[in-house]
Amino acid sequence: MYSMYEGVNASEGIGIGKAVLAVEPDLSFEPHAVEDAAAEKARYQQALDVFCKKTEAQAERMKVTVGENEAEIMSGHIMLAQDPGLVDGINTAIDGGSCAEKALVDTSTMFENMFLSMDDEMFRLRAADIADIRTGILAELLGKDVVDLSVLPAGSIVVVHDLTPSMTATIDKENVAGVVTEVGGRTSHSAIIARALEIPAVLSVPNACGALLNGATVIVDGINGHVINDPDEEMLEDYQKRADAFAEEKHALEAYRGKPTVTADGDKKTLACNIGNPDDAKTAVDHDCEAIGLFRSEFLFMDAKELPSEDEQFEAYRKVATTLKGAPVIIRTLDVGGDKEIPYLKLQKEDNPFMGYRAVRYCLDNADEYKVQLRALLRASAFGDIKIMVPLVTCVEELRQVKELVETCKKELAEEGRKFNENIEVGIMMETAAAANIADILAKEADFFSIGTNDLTGYTMASDRGNDKVAYLYSWYYPAVLRAIKNIIVNGVKEGIMVGMCGEAAADPLLTPLLLSWGMEEFSVSAPSVLKTRKAISQWSKADADALEAKVMQLDTADEVKAALMEAAR
Amino acid sequence: MVSEKVTLVNPQGLHMRPAGMFASAMGKFSCDVTVVTPDKEVNGKSPMALMAAGIPCGTEVEVRCDGADEAEALASAVELIKSGLGE
Repeated sequence: MYSMYEGVNASEGIGIGKAVLAVEPDLSFEPHAVEDAAAEKARYQQALDVFCKKTEAQAERMKVTVGENEAEIMSGHIMLAQDPGLVDGINTAIDGGSCAEKALVDTSTMFENMFLSMDDEMFRLRAADIADIRTGILAELLGKDVVDLSVLPAGSIVVVHDLTPSMTATIDKENVAGVVTEVGGRTSHSAIIARALEIPAVLSVPNACGALLNGATVIVDGINGHVINDPDEEMLEDYQKRADAFAEEKHALEAYRGKPTVTADGDKKTLACNIGNPDDAKTAVDHDCEAIGLFRSEFLFMDAKELPSEDEQFEAYRKVATTLKGAPVIIRTLDVGGDKEIPYLKLQKEDNPFMGYRAVRYCLDNADEYKVQLRALLRASAFGDIKIMVPLVTCVEELRQVKELVETCKKELAEEGRKFNENIEVGIMMETAAAANIADILAKEADFFSIGTNDLTGYTMASDRGNDKVAYLYSWYYPAVLRAIKNIIVNGVKEGIMVGMCGEAAADPLLTPLLLSWGMEEFSVSAPSVLKTRKAISQWSKADADALEAKVMQLDTADEVKAALMEAAR
Repeated sequence: MVSEKVTLVNPQGLHMRPAGMFASAMGKFSCDVTVVTPDKEVNGKSPMALMAAGIPCGTEVEVRCDGADEAEALASAVELIKSGLGE
């Protein structure tokens, strides 16, 4: 009789195999009194040296088998293990009569608890690192081996209390079909590494090491977070089919990696990514994007206690520009207000913040603050193809005012002898019903459009998707939203400017043919959606897309639209 | 031994990155470096101890340097803290 356990779906995919219980070594010890403190310190130092050497070797291996970023976790362990604060604490404890083992456990536990008590995810991760190095050094002191996953039978489902970075360094990737742990969430090391290795993983399954028996057949459903022990024939068959389908889909998508984004009849499009901070840029490039279609600059402001300086902003923008190596980077200027609160700006609470003092309205009213951002953007434009995007535009006057400010900043920078791109593009985030209605007017003065479908849908349908009672109206399949999108794209194309989309709708394969029919050029999506969207674009020729568009745009209701698009889906 | 009081201006306090930066800068000096807050004393060369101390923005800390290159170390430490430790 099978049994099913639920956990955290931390790494996608379905693994079927035999359970291998990785039981951690018994690291218990009897504390003993120490006479010769110097000798005991030397014993600790020796264990530490061996640990660091082994860890360094693991980090080197990891660079090849897992990736640079993950290898850095291991290198970080060496730094932590050699931290003067930790070493001092341990030496002091040994001087006080503790044996090396007890000194290590007491001192590291003290630091671990300090980190655990902090209200910050990053600190809690450091606590896990400290626990990991404690295990490693303690094993050295006691002459025991830590869990070794370097040699495993094919099709192993690794069942372990916690998958530590040091275990994953040596893991026999080819033979691991899945991972089950008793602790850890989606942001834990185990999860990050399982995803990097593309091994299906379900974490935080209580008592997994007790419930799953060595050698038992186990299914790891990393999509839904299920672990099935001893499945029956029917289940095995069902999951095997799902595993095959998943692998097939993934494999099929891989065919689109490194390829240009083209329609079925060879029309070239741009596949871009949306990012929220400079580090995301690298992830986006790793996911094979060709540009950044939306860099939300708010993180710079929201993570700070006061307005970030021109230099701070410049550094962040420059980092993204250089990461993209000359490919376009569209940076949206501060989009404050609405649901994004920045305490130090001391904005008054409004009855209707989405219709209130936000985004470009705030920025134009605080031109001195806005100029700091514009100057930083201009300076960064000397290092790549940075484009300025203005959010929440509702009338051409706003665009003109922003462009005037940009010109003022250019003059200032030129006088200061600073470099910038003279021809920097200034475009509009098309996200209001007003902007959609006057797309023809705006297209004459904007350098590009990028459609923000999240707000455009909300404003057009006058529906808040967070409000359960009206969320049913929040859908881009409503003819009102589709017409707004069409008007924006068609008018932009008519004026010969680039039109892109950076809202979630850009990654909806059902909408792809419509967007292609209207002539949209750039699709900006989240990193994991890049290949999927590239595939969707490749399925449609202009003629096929036009035929579907003609049919769909005559329909009256969202349900009819969605049904027609689903029927035609490729 | 030389010492000087200086106020921490990092918006997030002595967080991971600034703590690491401070400790590694201090590691280049041979003298002992201690950071003293109103309620604790921590090893200024230890990123872990500095982070674990969780010193918030606006705290006045005393930096104590003791050893051969203490004057140089103290000047460097004060300068670093005043400049916001790269933040």
